[in-house]
Amino acid sequence: MTTRVPVAITGLGCLCAAGVGVDDCLDSLYRGERRPTAPTLFSTSHPVTYPVLEIPETDFPREEGPLLRTSELGLAAAREALADAGLDETSREKVRIGVILGTTVGSAMNNEAFYQRFRDGERPEMTAIDRFRRSNPAAVVARELRLNGPTQTLVNACSSGTDALGIGAGWLRSGLCDVVLAGGADELCRTTYNGFSALMITNENPCSPFDRDRQGLNLGEGAGMLVLEKAEAAKKRGVRLRAQLLGYGAAADAYHLTAPSPDGKGLRRALCEAMEQAGIAASDLAFVNAHGTGTKDNDKVESQVLHDLLPGIPFHSTKGYTGHTLGAAGGIEAVFTVAFLERGEIPASIGFSSQDPDLPTAPVTENTPVAGKAAISESLAFGGNNAVAVFGRVEDTA
Amino acid sequence: MTIMIDGIGVVGGFGSGAKELLAAAQAGGCAPETASLSAEGTSQEVPVYRARTDHLTDFVSKRALRRVDHLSRMALLGAHLALEDAGNPALDPQRTGIIVASGYGATGTTFAFLDSVLGDGDACASPTHFSSSVHNAAAANLSIQLKLEGPCLTLSQFEQSVFSAFSEARIWLCEGRVDRVLVGCVDEFCPVLGYCWQRYFGSELPEVQQPLRLNSQSAIPGEGAAIFLLSRDQGQAAYGHIAHVEYGRGILPSFNADLTLIGADGHRVCGQRYRDELAPGMWVAAASASYGSLPVGSAFDLAIAAFSRKTGFWSLPIQANDTAWDQMRPGAEMADLNVACVKCGNDNDYGLLILEP
Repeated sequence: MTTRVPVAITGLGCLCAAGVGVDDCLDSLYRGERRPTAPTLFSTSHPVTYPVLEIPETDFPREEGPLLRTSELGLAAAREALADAGLDETSREKVRIGVILGTTVGSAMNNEAFYQRFRDGERPEMTAIDRFRRSNPAAVVARELRLNGPTQTLVNACSSGTDALGIGAGWLRSGLCDVVLAGGADELCRTTYNGFSALMITNENPCSPFDRDRQGLNLGEGAGMLVLEKAEAAKKRGVRLRAQLLGYGAAADAYHLTAPSPDGKGLRRALCEAMEQAGIAASDLAFVNAHGTGTKDNDKVESQVLHDLLPGIPFHSTKGYTGHTLGAAGGIEAVFTVAFLERGEIPASIGFSSQDPDLPTAPVTENTPVAGKAAISESLAFGGNNAVAVFGRVEDTA
Repeated sequence: MTIMIDGIGVVGGFGSGAKELLAAAQAGGCAPETASLSAEGTSQEVPVYRARTDHLTDFVSKRALRRVDHLSRMALLGAHLALEDAGNPALDPQRTGIIVASGYGATGTTFAFLDSVLGDGDACASPTHFSSSVHNAAAANLSIQLKLEGPCLTLSQFEQSVFSAFSEARIWLCEGRVDRVLVGCVDEFCPVLGYCWQRYFGSELPEVQQPLRLNSQSAIPGEGAAIFLLSRDQGQAAYGHIAHVEYGRGILPSFNADLTLIGADGHRVCGQRYRDELAPGMWVAAASASYGSLPVGSAFDLAIAAFSRKTGFWSLPIQANDTAWDQMRPGAEMADLNVACVKCGNDNDYGLLILEP
């Protein structure tokens, strides 16, 4: 049994299609705005256009720099989170800060232009490879921000961001470092666009998680980073505690490379482990931020598990606003969950309008006040990974 | 709190299993194969240590393997060998975790996916190659084939991946999150990596990897898997106990060990760091001529150290070198020695793991 050591969340950073900066994102979500578009970051030859949720060019530069876009996104979110936590350059020198960052694209050597030339029998220049070697996301954040603790890039597919939080809390408990920057980052690219299209789980229309007529997901991009530290240490520093990370659970389905186990066994165990570690009951929960991708399989499994284990607890998906940001999703949704818990209100699950008779429960359809001392963010991933994080309000857990 | 190694499975250019890895180590290395690389009408033979997974079918049916790629096959073979080495213990599926470390992931499958896109168009992209190219596919295949339902993690941190994985496994075991962890370290060779090698080191392609000639560029690309079944310390362990794991950036921290096994793998630039940061007169060895140069090479160093401890005697011969270190003679007793496995990367990063009796 993991010893419960209170872990405080003292900083949040986020950028995605919903906005650049946490407040910007929240404004969009509560206004019910979403901006799916045809991809502009790259071109495709699909006969059908699958909308994506890109960060607008006016909000985040697109020039090809020395680092991969994923690393730049992670770095931007990390900067916001550290500033939010009051950790400027001087104060960072006094503490060991670890970095754990989840991603999928950010660790993949898949530059098409380079490979096309190689494939054609040419001798492509090594610029793309050099860039890849320089761009391990966690290493970039540590290097650019001069952080001196352990670094780790997690590549656990769509649960990477949530897993990063749980792993980071473990680092604090074991004394590996004093502070952890944890979350996820991922950019949109042709490889994932073509890959998800090939799996026939992308939607030609804006996605509608849990809806009767849902037809798949929309891909997105972004980064969400959180600053974690031991609650005692944060209080000594005099910084505002935004929430606490009360529990984390993870389990594998051991079922299929891409589809979740129909009985949701891995998600059930991850939920139970997280809630047991958090020391909370279902009645303590304000809401659940579901994985809610908008695919037939995922939403069916999640809906059943939520109905069985957390009946009556309001839940929603925010992927209608952000798209499915893959390795970044857990980080972005953790930031949102903390912010919603602070505000006491969750935005509507955009895209939902009709109950699916095969799903025993449905998400909230409008902005909804919530009460309860804790909230859950959950992620399901390719490979059968399931990860759940439980967050607690500060005033109720102090 | 220390953790112990219950079983080890290895596959690489040396073959597979403890006997073949130790034989390669005792011989001072093994001969690489060659891969033919063509560009702009010319062809060059590149030495490479390739791994064979033919006898994975001793453990897994061909039918179950029909969509499993080379990286996952190496991991699966290593895992089965590790479990066999541990005496095929009864694992509680929900209390056994998996951590896979890979520097580059399933590169062969990633480029096979791009072949489907570039060759046949976006709409003809291969779903099978895409789902297998996802970085955590090897861990997922371990979970599915071995029916393990505990936490499952994949890390990718180039040369720090191995140390990151062991550090995490130690935390899981010490916190009681799981009772056992399968730590799998795996990387594969593919033609694109061969091309990169050729571009970066093309004029210095060696026939033999000589890791203790630090002034020379003698690295030969390798691939393989080294898988470890770990548990909490329960007393005596034939392979020893992992007492300390650390990784980070900057100067290598000071440590106490009787023998230091460095991850020098024939790269001149990284080799200099070992010379700068390890004192003359230390007992130092380098085993990479047995498996080649790959991001997870340090896992093979740990395997060699552990296998040698189990036999009771040090395996490596005295090697050609241009260093001021001492080398342990082959056959020296190992029962009471602390062995440090050290890796210095080319991004000012380091990894350190200490294996105690």
